[in-house]
Amino acid sequence: MWKYEKKLEYPVNIRKKDLKMAKYLMAQYGGPDSELAASLRYLNQRYSMPDDRGKALLTDIANEELAHIEIIAAMISQLTKGASIDELEKAGLGGHYSMHDHGLFPANPNGVPFTSSYIETSGDYIADIESDMAAEQRARATYEHLMDMTDDIDILAPLSFLRQREVVHYQRFKELRNYYLEKKI
Amino acid sequence: MNNYRDYYNYANNNYNQPNYKNTLNANIYDPYQGFIRGNMFPDLYNTYKLNKPVEIMPKNEQAELLTYIDALCFALIDLNLFLDLNPNDENAIRLYNEYRKEKDMYMRAYQDKFGPISLDSANLDGSTWKWIKSPWPWECEY
Repeated sequence: MWKYEKKLEYPVNIRKKDLKMAKYLMAQYGGPDSELAASLRYLNQRYSMPDDRGKALLTDIANEELAHIEIIAAMISQLTKGASIDELEKAGLGGHYSMHDHGLFPANPNGVPFTSSYIETSGDYIADIESDMAAEQRARATYEHLMDMTDDIDILAPLSFLRQREVVHYQRFKELRNYYLEKKI
Repeated sequence: MNNYRDYYNYANNNYNQPNYKNTLNANIYDPYQGFIRGNMFPDLYNTYKLNKPVEIMPKNEQAELLTYIDALCFALIDLNLFLDLNPNDENAIRLYNEYRKEKDMYMRAYQDKFGPISLDSANLDGSTWKWIKSPWPWECEY
C-alpha cells in the first residue's frame, strides 16, 4: 500500500526558465539510470531478497526513489513553464512538443522512450544487489554531468541533494551485499 | 523561536542529542544539517562542485514550518535505511522515535494552519474538502 504526501522530499523553487537543462534532466526522468528505473528495479527485485533486511532495504529505497521521480518532474515542470514553441524548438524540444506539448513524458534527453528493459531483475539476489550498486554509481555520475552543465543554484541544490542520495544508497546496497557474503546467506 | 536555525539549536538541547551522537554506531548530523546535505552520516558525506551545502531560505512562515517538517522527514528516511541494516542499534531506534514524535507535532501544527499534507490529517474535517486546495508540491512558491 502506498500513501501520498503533498510535499516534496526536497524543495524545488526554480526562478529562471532553462529549456536546455529541462531536456538534459530527462536523463534522470526516463533514462536507463533514471529515478523511475531505480524505483521499479528495486520494487521488482525485493521479492527475491533472502531475509528481512534485504526485503526492508529494497522496499524503503524504492519508496524514496518514487519521491525522487517527483523532484525531477517538479524541476522539469518549472524549467519549461510558459515556454513558447519557438523556445522549445531552439532547445531541441520541438520533437517533444510535437508529441507531448508541455506535458511530461518519461524519455531520455534524446527522446528515446523509457523501456522496462532498464529494469534489471535476475532473481539472484547477489546479482541484483550488485547491479543496484552499479546503477547507483551510474546515477551519481549522471548527476555530476548535470551539475557540470549549470551554474543556477536553484537547479544545483536539488541535483546535489539527489546525487548525495545515490552515494548513501550505494553504501547501503554494498553493506547488504557484504552482509550476505559474510553470513553466507 | 525567531528562525528555523534557532529551532534546531533548541531541539538539540531539548533532546540532549550529544548523548545520541556518542553512542550511535555512526556519527550523525542534526536533521537540518543532514537535510541540506542529503546525508545524515558525516562519514558517508561526499561533495561535488558545491564547496558548502545550500541553506534553505524560507520566504515566509509556511515555508519555514515546512522546512522543519522536511528536515525531520529526511532524518527519518536516512535513519530508516540505516536501521534496516542495523536493526539492533537501540540508540538509532530511540533517535528515530524522537524525530518521529517531533515530526508528528510539526505536521499537526502545519496542517492546522495551512491545510493538509496527508490524507490522515485531522484538518480534513469541515464543510469544504481542503485536500484539493493549493499549493501542489511542484508549484511551490510559498
